[in-house]
Amino acid sequence: MGLDRTVKSTEPLKRLAQLLLVVLGSTFLVSLLIRLLPVGLEDIYVVNPDPAGRAREIHNLGLDLNPFAFYLRWLNGFIHGDFGSYVYPGPTFVPVSQYITRTLPVTLQLIFYVQIVALTISIPLGLLSAYKVGTRIDRFISNGLFIFSSIPSFVLALILAFYIGVKLGWVPPLGYAQPFCSAEDIVRANACGFREHFKMMVLPVVALAVPLIASYTRLLRTDVIATLREDFVTMAASKGLSNRRILWTHVFRPSSVTLFTSAALNMGGLIGGALVIETIFSVPGIGFEIALAIASRQYFALQAYIAIIAFGYVFFNVIVDLTIGRIDPRSRERRQ
Amino acid sequence: MSSLLSLSNLRITFDTPRGQLAAVRGVDLEILAGESLGVVGESGSGKTVLSRASMGLLTMSTAHRSGTVVFDGQDLSTASREAVRDTWGTGMAMIFQDPMTALNPVRRIGSQLSEGLRVRLGMSRKEAKKRSIELLQLVRIPDPEKALRKFPNQLSGGMRQRVMIAIALACNPKLLFADEPTTALDVTVQAQILQLLSDLRQELDMSMVLVTHDLGVVAGHTDKIAVMYAGEVVEYAETKELFANVRMPYTEALLNSIPRLDQKSSGRMAVIEGRLPDPTQPEPGCAFASRCPYVQEKCQVEHPELQKADNGHQFRCHFPLGVAR
Amino acid sequence: MKFKQLGIFSKASVIWLGIVMFMVVFGQWIPLPKPTNFDIDAMGVGLFDSLKHPLGTDSNGYDLLSNVIRGARPSMLISLISVGIGGLIGSTLGIISAYKRGKLDYIVNTLFNIVLSVPALVLGLALVAVLATNPDPNIEVPTSRRVIVIILSLTIVIIPILGRIARGATLSWSNREFVVAARSMGMKDSQIIMKHIVPNVLPAIYAVAFLAIGVVIVVEGSLSLLGVGIVDGVSWGSMIARVRGDLEYAPHSMIVPVVVLALTVIACNQLGDILRSQLDSREGRL
Repeated sequence: MGLDRTVKSTEPLKRLAQLLLVVLGSTFLVSLLIRLLPVGLEDIYVVNPDPAGRAREIHNLGLDLNPFAFYLRWLNGFIHGDFGSYVYPGPTFVPVSQYITRTLPVTLQLIFYVQIVALTISIPLGLLSAYKVGTRIDRFISNGLFIFSSIPSFVLALILAFYIGVKLGWVPPLGYAQPFCSAEDIVRANACGFREHFKMMVLPVVALAVPLIASYTRLLRTDVIATLREDFVTMAASKGLSNRRILWTHVFRPSSVTLFTSAALNMGGLIGGALVIETIFSVPGIGFEIALAIASRQYFALQAYIAIIAFGYVFFNVIVDLTIGRIDPRSRERRQ
Repeated sequence: MSSLLSLSNLRITFDTPRGQLAAVRGVDLEILAGESLGVVGESGSGKTVLSRASMGLLTMSTAHRSGTVVFDGQDLSTASREAVRDTWGTGMAMIFQDPMTALNPVRRIGSQLSEGLRVRLGMSRKEAKKRSIELLQLVRIPDPEKALRKFPNQLSGGMRQRVMIAIALACNPKLLFADEPTTALDVTVQAQILQLLSDLRQELDMSMVLVTHDLGVVAGHTDKIAVMYAGEVVEYAETKELFANVRMPYTEALLNSIPRLDQKSSGRMAVIEGRLPDPTQPEPGCAFASRCPYVQEKCQVEHPELQKADNGHQFRCHFPLGVAR
Repeated sequence: MKFKQLGIFSKASVIWLGIVMFMVVFGQWIPLPKPTNFDIDAMGVGLFDSLKHPLGTDSNGYDLLSNVIRGARPSMLISLISVGIGGLIGSTLGIISAYKRGKLDYIVNTLFNIVLSVPALVLGLALVAVLATNPDPNIEVPTSRRVIVIILSLTIVIIPILGRIARGATLSWSNREFVVAARSMGMKDSQIIMKHIVPNVLPAIYAVAFLAIGVVIVVEGSLSLLGVGIVDGVSWGSMIARVRGDLEYAPHSMIVPVVVLALTVIACNQLGDILRSQLDSREGRL
């Protein structure tokens, strides 16, 4: 009885190997890129006029190595937790890890809120508009979201910051507050605590979530429409279940694979979006830090940030691979 | 016996980009309590639409219905959606063609089976589980406790169809629609499932409508047979009477298309030549005229009405077989 | 698909993109105040307040209409060129690798994934920042060089996006009976690709290319806002960036370029959408 499930494929291992190649490839290319700058790194970071001192500084930065050796040196450090440094003339080194531990949590908070908001709004909307497909409600939702999704989020951010933040003054237009007050926050009278935290986060979250809501609703709508045509939905109806119950217990889960896959794979893209939004709202997250690093020509730091994003990309790919079969057993067979 | 389901002048049309498609064109049928009826026709003859429409399962906005459906004394064509839904599962239930697509692939057998029991009959989790096991035993599934924990794709086709029958029977329906219940199965399994349905119908004293394209399937398992063509009932009689005295050329053609072991193969299977008429462009005459080997001029211009013989045998033909022409 | 058969939304999109392309080609000959001249007597003129400045001026007295028209050229050219070149390279790579399969496909797919593992905006920003640097941070990189660097960077971003679409479509088409039949009749691979694969894969690429144009317009705007794209208000994005602080005194000076940019993005998305839904109805759900 049943299918033969004894054949274990080597597919997952192959996939992992490819993902590892992706990380190595992207970090190597970034490493190569900063060595191939139209301007040598030594011209930016090494200001010592004394030839001997100059040679020593170049050696310290690894700039005397060929690009391969330079990359391997960087990779070795990265694996051992040395993410590289900000380099200031002098030379003074400030480890990137200091910045990462401070800024990454902020961005993760932001992205987390964005995903929660986007999913909680788009799931009911997607189900509703698929259920009412072709009706006025469906058209209203689809067209409304279409227009919203076409407004670039930086435009939305600027408008929100000005009208909600400055004109109406409902929430602060700029800045960030920690959800938990540290001693330092209290001494310096910084804004902190949950209330302040959420007030500060509202606008950046809305600016990032609105375009996402549109794309998530659409993905779910398409899949729900397809699922509603399935026999098992008619079958569920013929048991005499209510439509609401059928939508949530029979239709949603088998329709949600694309949605959750793209939500997980969107995490990286959201860091890109966060870059602009954090800059506009002065949220001290990793996106803001990346923009600053680029503006101040801190290429070693940039290398570390991009590596972290690439690792995040792989991490979420693995998560998708691991969980997708649990959401829908069919997808194990479908996905290759 | 009392009437359980009666359809009168039932018409179903769909809006399509090419115009109105009449899938069911004025059907009158009656099913008595405890009776089994076979509905036979080619694909596209409207038999599936008919069964779904009788239950009220056609909910898409492009489908339009006229005529009346009376189930167990209640007129479903004027009843509210909630009232219609209340008859599903407990009054009428349906078995679908392909158990692979009709079972929810992401939920375990147990939860799909107990759902109706919990929601419709208000059973507790424990009662529902006990009843689910009984139901799986009823449909002869070995090791029911284990089967409850499986996903549909972990079962074989025959087992899946048994599960579906169990789900349909869960709330003791009075009328069971079986829509091509064996088409998606292996030949060897088909006979088992048909026998099971037949046995269960008698054990549980249900009525059943067996929809199929295969006259051979209904032959041994139903009391009466309705043959459908192009959305109309073209012949209706008790099973024995129908096989003994075929009146409608279309039914004869259907019978000839059943492959038989006792006849020498002529090298190719007998098929019905020609195609179903375009349902968006109904012709004035008999719908079968273009394919009928006995066609005459009258058939092209005048639509035949359903005639009724004394023994209840009904047919829709100007020049019925077995009658002097 | 004929223009007449389009819905009203799509018709408007085609017309709007037509207007934008007119501005790109003939914009400089339209008799309007010079975009670089600021009118001291008319600073912060509102929308439709003055005949001389139909869309008003910003707080510096720059005429908004002529600036928007001038901005069409860099904004659209950057998008069209990078999507054009990136699409050409990407789909060539995608089609050939998916047709040949094996090692080549693995390598190309891995390369696509490498580029995709860095978010488009971060990658674009990093590339532009790295490639458009001067040894002396105080010397501005000339705009023309910036434009070339931006096009190059966005091309690199576009290659895997369209490449992956082409690869996926080719994978599904190259197993169809008519391709197998052509192969069994001894047609050369290059002939099969040109005759059987490309015509079938192209519609999918067109659909996504339209969406990509919209994405690139937004990325270009974001780059300007972050100060690494085009500066001096030459493109739409940089117009928005330039008047960021003026929202309070002259909100229309921001609204004008925002509306123009958003309309263009909406029009591109709409056309991409129409192409995609046509594709879906032709193909069914694969």
